[in-house]
Amino acid sequence: MNDKTRRFLPLVVTVGQVVIFPYYIIWLKQVSLTFTLFAWFFAAFSFAAAWGYRIFQSKKNKNQSFICLIYLGMGVVYLLIGNIKNLSEVLPYMVLLLQVILGLLQGYFRAWHTEQDTYHLHAVHHYLIVGFAMIAFSFVTIISPVVFITVFGLLLCLCGVWEFIRERKESI
Amino acid sequence: MDLVKKPWFLGSVVVIFAAVVLWNIPIEKRKYGLSQSSLVTDYTGLLPERVERIVVADNRDDLQRIVKQANDNGQQISVAGLQHSQGGHTYYKDGVVVDMRSFNRILELDEHQKTIRVEAGATWEAVQEALLPYGLALKVTQSQSIFTIGGSLSVNAHGRDIRFGSMAETVKEMTLLTPAGEIMNVTRDDPDEWMKYVFGGYGLFGVILDVTLELTDNDLYVIQTEKLKTSEYPSYFTQLVNQQQTAMHYARVSVAPSSFLNEMYVINYNYTDKQDHKNFLKKEQGVRLSKIALDLGRQGGALEDLFWTMQKRYITSINNQEITRNNAMRSESTFMEYTKPGRVEVLQEFFVPVHAYTEYIEDVKQVIQANDKHDDFKVHNITIRYAAKDNFTTLNYAKEDMLGLVVLMQHGVKEEEVTNATSIIQRWTDITLEHGGTYYLPYYRYQTKEQFRRSYPAW
Ligand SMILES: Cc1cc2nc3c(=O)[nH]c(=O)nc-3n(C[C@H](O)[C@H](O)[C@H](O)COP(=O)(O)OP(=O)(O)OC[C@H]3O[C@@H](n4cnc5c(N)ncnc54)[C@H](O)[C@@H]3O)c2cc1C
Repeated sequence: MNDKTRRFLPLVVTVGQVVIFPYYIIWLKQVSLTFTLFAWFFAAFSFAAAWGYRIFQSKKNKNQSFICLIYLGMGVVYLLIGNIKNLSEVLPYMVLLLQVILGLLQGYFRAWHTEQDTYHLHAVHHYLIVGFAMIAFSFVTIISPVVFITVFGLLLCLCGVWEFIRERKESI
Repeated sequence: MDLVKKPWFLGSVVVIFAAVVLWNIPIEKRKYGLSQSSLVTDYTGLLPERVERIVVADNRDDLQRIVKQANDNGQQISVAGLQHSQGGHTYYKDGVVVDMRSFNRILELDEHQKTIRVEAGATWEAVQEALLPYGLALKVTQSQSIFTIGGSLSVNAHGRDIRFGSMAETVKEMTLLTPAGEIMNVTRDDPDEWMKYVFGGYGLFGVILDVTLELTDNDLYVIQTEKLKTSEYPSYFTQLVNQQQTAMHYARVSVAPSSFLNEMYVINYNYTDKQDHKNFLKKEQGVRLSKIALDLGRQGGALEDLFWTMQKRYITSINNQEITRNNAMRSESTFMEYTKPGRVEVLQEFFVPVHAYTEYIEDVKQVIQANDKHDDFKVHNITIRYAAKDNFTTLNYAKEDMLGLVVLMQHGVKEEEVTNATSIIQRWTDITLEHGGTYYLPYYRYQTKEQFRRSYPAW
């Protein structure tokens, strides 16, 4: 069971990130005021992801990955996104901060994932699952993208807790 | 290449880039305006309505046809400029809205006669840009240049100028599309006196297509600032008008708890006999800092006192600076941005005769709180400007020489909050009327019909 979760949690996270992407984009476009800002928020995410990626790659002790904290961090960001709708004046500033944090965490996660044995197996599964998931979601009417984003945030938090428990068990 | 892979380098890129983005996040975040697909609102976002059709004005014949068609179909037509009016003046539910913004050409500029003929959808900003190379400036505008000419004349706006009378009086000629669908050229000696009704007529008497405005020189002024007690102001101001040294003027009254309605500062633009040779129009300056300062003031209590102290410091720092007429007519506006869900910031303007000012202010103290920190209804700023007696327009707010108190206020949008704000503003209006004053019509209509009739008996 321990081995199964070790294999499947990263798959759940990767698939979830791709599936949530369209909803996340809708939300980001809604809060971005202008296309320029939307594009810049994306650029900030990308630069931060490069940074996160290199942080993991440059780590001396790669076994100490803190990946449960990364899952939790990403989950908290998505949960925050789902709950900051009433702050319109400070919203763009918050969005920028969240984009940077999310980019950093996702970059770090990806760098970690590429070093796992299951990475190549996941790549194929992840494409297939995303395809089927998107077909399924096309039948769900979106009330608001933040509902999905919040649910995904919760799921990531659960993954974080699960991973934490798994790591504890492994160390015993 | 190795550098690019260093985490510290990538981290620095992220921090620098995020700082650049942060600095470029627009301050103005409100979404308002004309929309066919969703609800139409004006600047405040209050009073959303669905309209039947939005017509973009680009040619006179089309406009004429649309007006005639609407008459035949019994439809209501409204006219919209930049929609900075705040009471839903620019649209009717299920009506046709004529969007004048694209009707914005400069048609003719006569350097020697000092006149400009311009289409009504143009902004003051565009007119100022056209005038600049000729060393010319407008006679009367609002304090900011963000409005259309048609929208401004339709409210007969006023600003900092204290020499040229009302805005309506600076118009020599006008082309008007009448409610019957006729296009006519109107001059000041027109026997039907269309100008009297159209200026300050809120688009109810036809569509202004273009106007010929009188101009003056883009003089260089020296700024002179002073701090006063409220009770000293009427005599100070009367002297200022009589001495003929000052071209433009405005003042602010404290709404901070510790100096509430007792302290004032004034800003005068005094003649220098010099003209501007630098030929530039200033852009919005210090917007982020001004917004932070205003946001502090919005908190009320001690922070509002701090905001007032900062304002006084600032006016001392600009004393003796030089500024052109054009630049004195284009103050910053973006820093006033306020978009908080569930709350709204609006303007109201009350006019009182110059001689009644001191007693009036004493009475206003009974209506609004010195410290509104914990109240829903808050007053953030009161600016004072002069509105010279206007014998020209029918719906005139300046029946004699008046001081206009522009009030920036904030309240919640729940039913009971609006009711509370309405009752305070109605009391304030009553006091204004008791002192022989009136109130300005472009803003949200808190007042009763009775108060409207008392203010505008010619209606
Ligand atoms: C931040 C702010 C600052 C302000 N400062 C000042 C100030 O310093 N002094 C002052 O006097 N006022 C001031 N105002 C009020 C402002 O002058 C009016 O709201 C003005 O009407 C705005 O112009 P607009 O182009 O946005 O007009 P709109 O709001 O689009 O229209 C105003 C009215 O004019 C009518 N209208 C528009 N175009 C035409 C046309 N071509 N023909 C016929 N009717 C037309 C509309 O139907 C409507 O009734 C201020 C308002 C705001 C929001």
